[in-house]
Amino acid sequence: MLPEGSDLAFEGLQARVTIVRGLGGGTQGQVFEVDVAGERMALKWYFPNSIAADPNLERRLLASIQATAPNPSYLWPLALLRPAAGESTRLPLAVQSFGYLMPLRPPGYIGAHEHVGGLVDISLQTVMRSSFFLAEAFHDLHLRGLCYKDISLMNLFLEPSSGRILICDNDNVAIDGRDPGSVLGTPGFMAPEVLLRQARPGANSDLFSLAVLIFRLLTRHDPLLGSLELAIRCLDEPARRRLYGEDPVFIFDPRDDRNRPDPEAHPAALVTWPIYPAPLQVLFLQTFGIGMKSPERRALTGQWKQVLARTLDQRRLCPHCGQETFPDPAAPGRCWNCGRELGPGLALQLPHGLVQAAAGNELHPHHFDNLHPQGLGNPLARLESHPSRHDLLGLRNLDAHPWQALLRNGERLNVDPGQVCNLAPLTGLVTPSGPITLLR
Amino acid sequence: MAFPNVRLSNRPLHFIYLCDCSGSMAAQGKMQALNQAIRQSLPGMADVARENPEARVLVRAISFSDRAFWHIPDPTPVTDLVWTDLQAGGITAMGEALELVASQLSSPPMEERALPPVLVLISDGQPTDDFERGLSLLMRQPWAQKAVRLAIAMGHDADLEVLQQFIGPEPFPRLPEGEVPGASGHQPRMAARSRSPRRPLQASNATSLAQYIQWASTAVVGAASRPASRLGGEELHSNQNQSNIPLPDLPPTLMDPTDDIGPLVW
Ligand SMILES: Nc1ncnc2c1ncn2[C@@H]1O[C@H](COP(=O)(O)OP(=O)(O)OP(=O)(O)O)[C@@H](O)[C@H]1O
Ligand SMILES: [Zn+2]
Repeated sequence: MLPEGSDLAFEGLQARVTIVRGLGGGTQGQVFEVDVAGERMALKWYFPNSIAADPNLERRLLASIQATAPNPSYLWPLALLRPAAGESTRLPLAVQSFGYLMPLRPPGYIGAHEHVGGLVDISLQTVMRSSFFLAEAFHDLHLRGLCYKDISLMNLFLEPSSGRILICDNDNVAIDGRDPGSVLGTPGFMAPEVLLRQARPGANSDLFSLAVLIFRLLTRHDPLLGSLELAIRCLDEPARRRLYGEDPVFIFDPRDDRNRPDPEAHPAALVTWPIYPAPLQVLFLQTFGIGMKSPERRALTGQWKQVLARTLDQRRLCPHCGQETFPDPAAPGRCWNCGRELGPGLALQLPHGLVQAAAGNELHPHHFDNLHPQGLGNPLARLESHPSRHDLLGLRNLDAHPWQALLRNGERLNVDPGQVCNLAPLTGLVTPSGPITLLR
Repeated sequence: MAFPNVRLSNRPLHFIYLCDCSGSMAAQGKMQALNQAIRQSLPGMADVARENPEARVLVRAISFSDRAFWHIPDPTPVTDLVWTDLQAGGITAMGEALELVASQLSSPPMEERALPPVLVLISDGQPTDDFERGLSLLMRQPWAQKAVRLAIAMGHDADLEVLQQFIGPEPFPRLPEGEVPGASGHQPRMAARSRSPRRPLQASNATSLAQYIQWASTAVVGAASRPASRLGGEELHSNQNQSNIPLPDLPPTLMDPTDDIGPLVW
């Protein structure tokens, strides 16, 4: 719609906007990479008919732009653009339309569907971190009184190296309960009461969608596709209405076993579910159990954040097969992968948390200060194995201040920012944030 | 240490082109335009297939002229697909083409569980064989009834009636905006009505043909593989008497669709 290479003027914008290239099209419009005064951004440009179908769109966007992004995980609208008066001759169709500028998604991010489709190598820790970032993004959005309404795998991007996420297509975000908006959501991610049109999408239906997304990330499977799906020959809209709206049954519902995963048809669910510790499973059981029909009983964003953060702290590498596991520190039990006993492991006791000593695990400010919101963005330390001697495990100081390591022989050792200290001879560390004690 | 080697379970999505290769397709570069349009659409189709892990998109094609043949007989993943050019020459065995599809839509060979198949019929003329028989054989198959059936009319000699029969009953006819039924004293022409995927799509030139092929192989494949975002204004059961998946909007065209400007390329 907007020709590549063209240089356009928009109402109220000093700089001209150069259309660099098309990034893709969806149902509502097209997205372009643009250059605005030397900065690369993304421009979403609506089809005139989708504006006509959604009379509140412009008002909603302006409200979002004014509210600003709740959190860095959103590719949030930054400015609304309308063609300047003089452009009507060059863009006969586009003048009836408008669009918005947002940050450009940096390289390195992949669509969440690539993970769910098994097309990328990714660690369990990364997927767990992405799930945390997702819960955090919804948490910060809901705290502002906003709701997302139409989250699905299509709007979610992950960085496989860090687990960081980006959420795009934020044009349905609205004040919870205020703006009816036009979007209901996407079947399969939509709460049953919204699919059945008994309720409008809002924060409580977002909680259902959040649980579906986290489940899909952690299991590569759909929480409602089990044996009941096998009875359906043609999976079309009426069938989806039954599975996701009229008779939704969680595949691991302890009180209703009609929809158990089938070993042949749904192996992903059966392989992955046992990986996760009980407190995490409980949040799914709650949201897809009592919360299925009672929206106010669904697990809250804060609960997801807390449980996912603790699960990350519990991560250990199986001493036999090397696979990532998330056992209860009090009762490690057997490895989900090789079935052998995990046995006790080295752990770091912090003022507000217990972190297993496994390469890749991190210490965060919330481990030292329980008033600090849970977050993974600014780690204070990371467990790392020695670059050549993989049997040596160390702790890298990511703080701005030097730390004191306490050696078993009573001596003290300085650990400067950026340095890694070997954990083997230590009993603990003293840091400005608080003490770290090694539990063997 | 890695995510276990599992993936979302998926269902096959059969996508079948039925291409008219009668002698008239040789005129004004129509055959080349169709070959080009399909070939150019494949990368986009592969992207959509990749984006939809719940679907396993499998493509086949039939060509029909004096007889109907499988041009691509095996259900082929779109990334493995190599499009060899169709050649024009002969008459229009459209009925036989429908029969060929019918034989493949019965189970077996059709899988027991699948997503709604997508059938795209492209023609520039009238069937010369027993179209009715082919259609009734096809529509006896439950998978054909569940299928998304689209038709593209190339040029102005295509038999719109026949293509409409393939799609199914025409939706409630909508008049152009502002027009009062009967006020103009004449029946609105097919082309003068608002466009709908439930009517034959009229490709009057190579550009609009390419747009429609692109739309069918991307937007429609996406809609058939996974549920789409739902708008509140839509009627609960709208579309459902017509099709079992909500069809995406047609691509916006640069030309006014109500404006009959005649052929550009042929
Ligand atoms: N900020 C961005 N940076 C880079 N690419 C983007 C950005 N926003 C969107 N895209 C890409 O542009 C394409 C279309 O975007 P989007 O999903 O927003 O369109 P849409 O019309 O809202 O689609 P739908 O409503 O069907 O999801 C997608 O491929 C998306 O990945
Ligand atoms: Zn093991």
